[in-house]
Amino acid sequence: MKKKFDVKSVLNVLLPLVLALAVGAIIILFIGENPIEAYAALIEGAFKGKLRLGTTLAGFTPLLLTSLAFIVAAKAGAFNVGVEGEVLLGGIVAAYIGINWTFLPAPLLIIACFLGAMIVAALWAFIPAALKAYYDVSEVCVTILMNSVALYITNYLVSGPMSAGTTIAESKPVAVTLPKLMMPSALNAGIFIAIVVTIVMIFILQKTSLGTKIRLVGTNPANAEYAGINPKHTFIKAMMISGALGGIAGTIEVLGVHGAFLNNFASGLGNNGMLAALIAKCNVFTAPIISFFIAMLNSGAMRMQQATNVPKSLIDTITAVFIIFACMELIGNLKKRAAKKAEEKK
Amino acid sequence: MLNTNYVVEMKDIKKSFGSVHAVKNGQFTLRKGEVHSLIGENGAGKSTMMKLLYGMYPFDAGEVTINGKKYEHINPKAAIEAGVGMVHQEFMLVNELTVLENIILGFEPKKGLTIDFAAARAMAQKYIDQYNMDVQLDKKISQISVGEAQRVEIIKILARGAEIIILDEPTAVLTPQETRRLFEILNNLREDGKSIVFISHKLNEVMEISDRISCMRQGQYTGTVNKAETSPIELTKMMVGREVVLNIEKKTAHQGGVVLDVKDIWTSGEKEISKIRGISFDVKAGEIVGIAGIDGNGQSELIEAIAGLRQVEKGTVTLDGVDITNKTVKQIRDAGLTHIPEDRNTRGLNRAFTIGENLVEVELDQAPVKKGFVINKAAITQRAKDMIEKFDIRPADGSLPTSSLSGGNAQKVVVAREVNLGGKLLIASQPTRGVDIGAIESIRTILQDVKEKGLGVLLVSAELEEIMSLSDRIIVMHEGKITGRLAAEEADEEEIGMLMMGGYAHDKKGE
Amino acid sequence: MELGTIFNASLIFSAFRSATPIIYAALCAAITQQADILNIGTEGIMLMGAFMAVAVSYLTGSWILGVAVAMISGLVVATIMAIGNIKFKADICAIGMGINMFALAITKFLLNAWLGKSGSFTDPKIQPIPKVHFAFLEDVPVLGELFNDWCITEWFVIVLIVILWFVFYKTVWGLRLRAVGRMPMAAQTAGINVDAMKYQAIAISGLIGGLAGAHLSLGYSTMFVENMTSSRGFMGVASMYFGGAHPVFTSLGCLIFGFTNSIGTRLQAYGFPNQFMLLMPYVVTIAVLAISMATKKSAEKKRKSSLVTQ
Repeated sequence: MKKKFDVKSVLNVLLPLVLALAVGAIIILFIGENPIEAYAALIEGAFKGKLRLGTTLAGFTPLLLTSLAFIVAAKAGAFNVGVEGEVLLGGIVAAYIGINWTFLPAPLLIIACFLGAMIVAALWAFIPAALKAYYDVSEVCVTILMNSVALYITNYLVSGPMSAGTTIAESKPVAVTLPKLMMPSALNAGIFIAIVVTIVMIFILQKTSLGTKIRLVGTNPANAEYAGINPKHTFIKAMMISGALGGIAGTIEVLGVHGAFLNNFASGLGNNGMLAALIAKCNVFTAPIISFFIAMLNSGAMRMQQATNVPKSLIDTITAVFIIFACMELIGNLKKRAAKKAEEKK
Repeated sequence: MLNTNYVVEMKDIKKSFGSVHAVKNGQFTLRKGEVHSLIGENGAGKSTMMKLLYGMYPFDAGEVTINGKKYEHINPKAAIEAGVGMVHQEFMLVNELTVLENIILGFEPKKGLTIDFAAARAMAQKYIDQYNMDVQLDKKISQISVGEAQRVEIIKILARGAEIIILDEPTAVLTPQETRRLFEILNNLREDGKSIVFISHKLNEVMEISDRISCMRQGQYTGTVNKAETSPIELTKMMVGREVVLNIEKKTAHQGGVVLDVKDIWTSGEKEISKIRGISFDVKAGEIVGIAGIDGNGQSELIEAIAGLRQVEKGTVTLDGVDITNKTVKQIRDAGLTHIPEDRNTRGLNRAFTIGENLVEVELDQAPVKKGFVINKAAITQRAKDMIEKFDIRPADGSLPTSSLSGGNAQKVVVAREVNLGGKLLIASQPTRGVDIGAIESIRTILQDVKEKGLGVLLVSAELEEIMSLSDRIIVMHEGKITGRLAAEEADEEEIGMLMMGGYAHDKKGE
Repeated sequence: MELGTIFNASLIFSAFRSATPIIYAALCAAITQQADILNIGTEGIMLMGAFMAVAVSYLTGSWILGVAVAMISGLVVATIMAIGNIKFKADICAIGMGINMFALAITKFLLNAWLGKSGSFTDPKIQPIPKVHFAFLEDVPVLGELFNDWCITEWFVIVLIVILWFVFYKTVWGLRLRAVGRMPMAAQTAGINVDAMKYQAIAISGLIGGLAGAHLSLGYSTMFVENMTSSRGFMGVASMYFGGAHPVFTSLGCLIFGFTNSIGTRLQAYGFPNQFMLLMPYVVTIAVLAISMATKKSAEKKRKSSLVTQ
């Protein structure tokens, strides 16, 4: 498969973006505010100053991983809405290991946190994967429902057995953390881990035989089966890799950002990653750019709310409109219409 | 009986799909009360022409007149109102609905809020009686035979008041006997004044049923002749542009030991009649064993079971002494099985991938395709270059996706990949279905070469002529069982036809 | 714990009560499924309806207007999904999730910008959907407890199940819808406008989805909470799979969920951690879905087996 950075694929992202921002602007006008001011405040809020830029980058880190997690599953033909649950479970395992396995030296403990989180999150993803592969149970339904299950399990753990005993539901602090960057923002060394993992995953998907098999299965499982590739196993493998990536994201959040497991900390992480992946049409090269853009919107939203009275919930609306337009084939249709018009003129 | 009032006139028709010009210059006329055959090779544009008449797609240019009325655009609804009905090659029947529901779909008689099933039944029965077409109205489509489904299609269009009936390759799925039955129905319809378009590439059938014959080649109209004034030889010339003798000389190769030994196997089937129940046969090195039979009598299931794509419920399959029963596809391929599947678009190829990638997709875990952890792009390019040259695949660019290839070239990619693997047994399932005549010739030659190299070849084809011209031994299947085994030299078409219908089972010295 | 206080007549009613919003959602999904469209957007359509119902009922003091506007908003959201999927070839899962996120975001936004609240909204001025009280049942022991004081939409869901069953299997429109879903080419050649049928199915599903939301916020409760559907739409979709998009079987699937929910609520009184009670319906839904699909699969395997003769 050839990767092309042609005009069409750029337009495919830009046109929905413009439309979404326009819809956002209309809504802002409707509530009596100035859209240009609001968007300016948004940009300022995302980039101006070390704290804000650091916040944007800190928000970008998990999105990079969750969008990648969605894409890996999608390449095998799965629509994995369950990344959020995988992040949560990965986070709770990392927290558990980080709190309790203090007999390990710090570097080993960090590695143990990551490995534990990856294994549990991968096993969690195995459930919907196997149900889909062997019984054709819709993975969309199962993963969404499992997100709620993961939320309640972790909620129980941090308000019960693992509770720090404070009024808010959170775990005790972990014994190791990732080095902080650009203090006082939440940015931490996890961003480098996320970038390295992304590069490795792109390499695996594009260059290795495993990646090729995943893509073969995702585009035509009957052909893959005939060629001697087990489509069920490959599908499950891809889902488990997807889960492990979610686990890494959860670990970075716990060890890097919060230093403990906060109840429902992953709210939106999985969904926003999925958004980025869908907007990028599951292209591994454009997804990071979209992830960054969404992180920017989210971190700038607070500033916008303070400066202009536009509620930050508008930003979620804009991203939702963005995705709705992005998954349509607007360009193809416009071209067809233009061609029709040209013909009519003749 | 004939008059010159045309009920259908299609003039200077053009139609393209993307960059493919399916019809470049289409001409067609139909008189009232005639059977007019439209002949041509696969991909000549004959089906497309008739789908345009029925409004399945809009035509790009030209004129269509039905009963004197000129149409700018046609959709199926308008075509039905104008009295046009079409029996498609793939039946347009909903499996989960009953025969009666299928017949009335789209013009249901109503009684208040509900469907008036009593009126519907009476109406359907009228046509059943009038043309002596037995169908069971309350069965679901999934439960009836192909021949019966075809009669349902005919009733369906008659019930919509069709005066112009298009049949797209109606005999492709029928036995010789069922074909005769269909022709009786068509003759009755003609006598009733219906006008019939008969699309086919089987010249003997065309010569039997037609009044006039039109021919197309590569999207171009090449002429119309009266049946009485033509011959199969002239028709062949019109179809192909040259005289073609497809009878490739059969070569005899040195026969070796048994490579494939199938012993009393039972496997599941998509339909009751395609379940395999106790089949045994063998294939020796250096011979071609042909399996004849009407589509859907278990051939696909049998092949899938041997290739590891379907579970064997009972019995054993042995490949060159190795038990491959219910082994994984990979293990079976490693044991020396290569396989040209019947459906190249879903099984044989991944259309999103390039020619080169498709050529190596079974070797992703071995050198030179895999180098370390990485897929070796250079090896793929080299392989593509070699295969394109050796098998004359066009266009000669290994980085093109296979979705851009014509049927014949796409099939050559599959053939190239499988033949290049070597191995011990080649299964060729419908190897020339839907490909042009040039590709048919070269694929048949390749199969002969494979046999000469000492591999066993198991050929499955619905084209009796293909089976007879290539095989050393012939096995006939009917409803999941073997009804006959014949040596090629003593086989005749009539007898095989009988066996395909489930006629007497007998063994000659084929075994 | 006493089993008697957990399993008694009122359990049936409470199970039915908690199942009703899901039954509406499942019917919303079933109607598009008949046209072979997986309605992932059920959740969003429902949430939209829930918000609009509360907002309009609060502002106008009329529950009828609330329900009507909820249904219209469901229709609008569903139409966006229909146009995206049918005209602009958007993947149904992608646009469905987009619709869900849109509904989640826009209801949050409107709650902030329009009603000036965040998190949740409750007010005595919100007119709920009235309950039906039969005076003659008051003194009847079990029946009174069982059938009195259902709200109108709880009675109506039963009517709706019957209507949809009738429409699917007895009317021309239903026959055409099923043909479109199972083999669109056959429907097209029979002169049926396939896209028009799909639009109609999604539009009606939008109306039902809006009603599902209205029932949730004005019937089942009298308030709006951010994300108050909490996956009920997806449970509806799961039940739809369970029932093969047949209105009656689909609704029975929802009752299984309702029972789990009601039993869970009662068990809570006996010291089971709250979270485990809350997650039970989700686990049960997944289990039921898996079991029903596995059963279907093994039945199909048996049907196709050569060792079985039909």
